[in-house]
Amino acid sequence: MPEPARATSSGPGRVLIAVYGIFALSATARAGVQIVGKFDEAPLAYLLSALAGVVYILATVGLAGRGAGARRLAWGAVGFELVGVLVVGALTVFDTADFPDDTVWSGFGRGYGYVPLVLPLVGLWWLRRTRPR
Amino acid sequence: MIDALVLVVLVAAGALAVFGVVGTIANRPPGAAIRLAVGGVVGLLALQAVIAVVRVFGGVTLPETTTFLIYLAVSVCVLPIATQFATAEPTRWGGAVIAVGAIATGVAVLRLQGLWAAGA
Repeated sequence: MPEPARATSSGPGRVLIAVYGIFALSATARAGVQIVGKFDEAPLAYLLSALAGVVYILATVGLAGRGAGARRLAWGAVGFELVGVLVVGALTVFDTADFPDDTVWSGFGRGYGYVPLVLPLVGLWWLRRTRPR
Repeated sequence: MIDALVLVVLVAAGALAVFGVVGTIANRPPGAAIRLAVGGVVGLLALQAVIAVVRVFGGVTLPETTTFLIYLAVSVCVLPIATQFATAEPTRWGGAVIAVGAIATGVAVLRLQGLWAAGA
């Protein structure tokens, strides 16, 4: 019989969820203020902020939930987050023109102590560690 | 915002983060002592928020009032939510969850201070 999946929301996973929750809150709130207040200044950057916020929300929900569906959601969201921070990080380093205003993922998360770069790696490691086998 | 109170709040949040991490290292689930410490820090944050709101609506002009008020709300709300989540599953990791909340609160207070200094 296969060993059942260990919950992603237990033990040290709760610390990870706390960090994800805080990023979900701050990225979404920041994007909200940017889009409502000054959307015309840098629409691409602000839409990207909103996308990052949604990804963090989905990752938080996926990690906090139980069952195969929540786990799939977490894999998808955390994987997308890693791709996002790498692509946006590279773009903002090589081409600053399209990103006049910072997002969470700009400069590989420079403005947030590089936590956005490390977080998806820890998330993927944790999902792998708790996977069913 | 009052500089001296900002400093007190930052030191208190830092001490709370250390308290939480020590609990995790010592393999202790969060107990009454850390709840009391959280209560103390949240009390200071609430006091700071009230003072800031009174001063903002009393005529202090800031470049980004909306952002400031959102950060202000976040600075007060994060620790109670984190503590609720930390104590829902009483393991050693609860302390680390509270530490994450305390650090995030400290960052929010630093941003608040930056926004305030840019205006007042």
